[in-house]
Amino acid sequence: MSVNVTLADFSNGLLLSTLILYALAMLCYAADFAFAKHRVMAGVTDTAATGAPELEAAPELVTTPELVTAGAGGRAVSANAVAASAVAPSAASGSAGPSAAAVVSPPGGRNAGDAPASHWPSGFWLRLAFGLTCTGVVLHVLAVLTRGLAEHRVPWGNMYEFIGAFTCMAVLVLVAFCVWQRAYYMGLFVLLPVVLGLGIDLTWIYTPAGSLVPALQSYWIAIHVTAMIVAIGLFIFGAVVTTLYLLADRSQRRLAAGLPSWSAGIWRHLPVAAVLDRLSYRAVLFGFPVWTFGVMAGAIWADHAWGRYWGWDPKETWSFITWVVYAMFLHARATAGWRGRRAAWIQLAGFVCLMFNVIGVNLWITGLHSYAGMS
Amino acid sequence: MTPAPAEEELRAAGAAGDAATSKPGTSINGPRNSRPRTVRLGPVGWVRWFWRQLTSMRTALILLFLLAIASVPGSVLPQEGIDPAAVNQYYQSHPSLAPIFNRLSLFNVFSAPWFAAIYLLLFASLAGCVLPRTIRLVGSARQKPPRAPSNLARLPASASYTTDLAPAAALDSAAGLLGGRRFRLHRGDGWVSAEKGYLREVGNLLFHIALLALLFSVGIGGIFGYKANRLLIVGQGFANTPTDLDVFRPGRLVSPSDLQPFSINLGSFRAKYVTSGPQLDQPITYDAALSYRPQVGGAARHYVLSVNHPLVVDNVSVYLIGHGYAPVFKVTDGTGKVRWDGPVPFIPVQQTTLTSEGVIKVPDAQPYQLGFAGVFVPSAVMGANGQLESAFPGPLNPRVSLVAFKGNLGMNSGQPQSVYSLNLKGLKQLPVAPRPLTAGQSVKLPDGAGSITYLGYKQWVSLAVTYDPGQLPALISGIAALAGLILSFLVRRRRVFVRAMPGTDGGTEVSVGGLARSDAAGGFDTEFAELTRLLRAEHDGRSMRASQVGDGTVDGPADFDDRERGLPTVPAGTPVAAAAVDAEAVTAQAVTGEAAVASNPETLTGREEE
Repeated sequence: MSVNVTLADFSNGLLLSTLILYALAMLCYAADFAFAKHRVMAGVTDTAATGAPELEAAPELVTTPELVTAGAGGRAVSANAVAASAVAPSAASGSAGPSAAAVVSPPGGRNAGDAPASHWPSGFWLRLAFGLTCTGVVLHVLAVLTRGLAEHRVPWGNMYEFIGAFTCMAVLVLVAFCVWQRAYYMGLFVLLPVVLGLGIDLTWIYTPAGSLVPALQSYWIAIHVTAMIVAIGLFIFGAVVTTLYLLADRSQRRLAAGLPSWSAGIWRHLPVAAVLDRLSYRAVLFGFPVWTFGVMAGAIWADHAWGRYWGWDPKETWSFITWVVYAMFLHARATAGWRGRRAAWIQLAGFVCLMFNVIGVNLWITGLHSYAGMS
Repeated sequence: MTPAPAEEELRAAGAAGDAATSKPGTSINGPRNSRPRTVRLGPVGWVRWFWRQLTSMRTALILLFLLAIASVPGSVLPQEGIDPAAVNQYYQSHPSLAPIFNRLSLFNVFSAPWFAAIYLLLFASLAGCVLPRTIRLVGSARQKPPRAPSNLARLPASASYTTDLAPAAALDSAAGLLGGRRFRLHRGDGWVSAEKGYLREVGNLLFHIALLALLFSVGIGGIFGYKANRLLIVGQGFANTPTDLDVFRPGRLVSPSDLQPFSINLGSFRAKYVTSGPQLDQPITYDAALSYRPQVGGAARHYVLSVNHPLVVDNVSVYLIGHGYAPVFKVTDGTGKVRWDGPVPFIPVQQTTLTSEGVIKVPDAQPYQLGFAGVFVPSAVMGANGQLESAFPGPLNPRVSLVAFKGNLGMNSGQPQSVYSLNLKGLKQLPVAPRPLTAGQSVKLPDGAGSITYLGYKQWVSLAVTYDPGQLPALISGIAALAGLILSFLVRRRRVFVRAMPGTDGGTEVSVGGLARSDAAGGFDTEFAELTRLLRAEHDGRSMRASQVGDGTVDGPADFDDRERGLPTVPAGTPVAAAAVDAEAVTAQAVTGEAAVASNPETLTGREEE
């Protein structure tokens, strides 16, 4: 079973095209932020023109007038279901009224006050960006598939293939969250690390197509590594959202304290920090069980291959550390006094551990998992 | 659920106690400071309980953090249990640092006392948290859902509409609908409360209990199991006894007689490598053809052992974990006697091309003891600076290069020696020009010390033999933990309330409210909207029927309607009929409802679960 070189080359070309499409999509997301003023998040002032923050509401920038009344003092998006339950039941839920439709609308949406009907993006630039993202991810999936077909095996047997696969997963997660939670505002921010990762993958980490070493020749690679790829995709999304959350939260606190915030112009395109916090929590909530499953599947495989299900190999140790830190995040997120910024920092720490495990352990620490394919 | 007002009070008291003690170490013995309160014996018990709960979560977080930090050196420094040779090397390259690290157990992190202290404390805190919660869960499963608050519009999700149905009938059908969806119901005057999602807490507890079980399983494996290694040259065999194993690490309660009495012979070994292209030298397959006897004197069976396909005999697993070359030598001493004739396993020092090193010790040689240090290259080429190198891991051009020593091997000094290294202290190197030998070539040693002949090579495999009775319990615990995790993340605990009262225009005002106590994965809003839609459809449908029949009673035909529309039907035994009897006092309900709500919102919305 020799490698189909033509198909492998085709796969490389597809991956490069993917990278270009993602880069173009990023430009379009940026253009959407720059030009699409009509869809500014409700209740936040326009500071882009002057550069100076103003605290008065600017109703002409807001699509949903009923939210202006609620948001006159600050953040109208807090009228969503979460915030309304937390704050005193005065103006927010009072203005929302007893109609089920107003309360039921998902809180993560870009147009928080709109009817929940449309899951699809609005506006020329955003539609274009999302279209490019979707085309890119289709090519990305094809690149991974053709690589596997060329090699007659699961296409994640070395670091090059692994990075290609989990960046693909990250974009798939992005698309899923876009449609499900209308998190279109995340496009630019998630594609940034994806494009960087793919670029590094294609230039420095590239490994020609080939067969697997005996230790990897097992059906468990399809179970264990696939689970890890899915989990990493979700964790990447979570980490990007959490980074935004921390920045948005900082800006909000500065504005609330009457201090200037240079980034306020960016945050008016995004939902309030609380919404970002929930969004990243959801990503981790789905990622954590998958990661747990991946570690367990890895343990079963290790038992088949090496004669013990857990041996504190560096990769195992770091996957354990990652698991522990994400478990800390989940506990902190549910504990008074820890949720919010502290929990977010813990999540980022978990992500750093994850990235060290994916890249650092492969490159700098030798162990049983030294399959990076780089020398 | 615990009574809410008391808990509020307790929280304040707990905070006071916390401030008073303020020393983080004395977490459990709070009562010393709350001695003045001992008059209120009950509340003090509650204070201690609550305080312990509070601290245990913080403690758990800190312990988790410590556990993560403590694991790091285990991945950065070489570990005794994984790679003892690397530890030795570390001793040589860091002679001053290594003894300090050793004293801190940094070469044995995962069996270090401080590591054990962290995870045992963590599991103790976990157990201390899980047990009371299990008791609480059992308690709450026996209680009815709380009364409906009076103003449902104040809940996170709410809706209201009017129907022509009488209030009692509207509530009946609401109870039927919610009961059919397996909500637990509680009915009162003019209201229905429904609660669902107890499985969330069940999953949460299952996860944590399963983690405890996992730790126990690992412990069982460590106590009753054993690990062993055996290097086996083609043609050789061994029996599963401590003396016949190279490395034998038994659990605490394993005695040599407990070992399963099988024996294994290595018939042949075959390794295949990539011979061209960018992946040159990469192995493709390793196959070791074994014959084994499960019992002493039993029938021999055959098995082809390969990576990822262990041999299982008597619940003991045998794994192929390494391979290499064993050049065969014949050593004749100065008196002309053959003192060594056989293979000597060499250890690969270069994994990709299998350049291997080893030593030959001939303590019986006369007049001097002889020692040889050798390099074996399976596919010899001359390197750029005239050095012998291997170009390929397969045996295309096997050569051996030797350095000879005579003198005292130091094997009688009583100090244990590795078979893979020479103690050069009592040895003198012989002036033999090193040259790569091919099979059959000899080297004559000067000073009448004898000669050595390289006869060819054999291959060896290293086998791991493991017996771990904790494996299956660990697997079951792991699956249970995962199931619990998924359950606790996907199930949300939620309450839905329905109130119905006569409206101003003769119709009935129905208000629906709902809240999810834990809705991390989201979706309660959608579920609530769907419930509201169904309720409304049900009420509209029923009021239509009612106007046709001209009576407000809900009976058999409605059930039929439900099925027609594909709605869940009311199972027999739900308290629909019973509640319909006392649905008269519509006016009185407003008063009691208000009274109930004064204490309720706190219970309902106040806490998210840990």
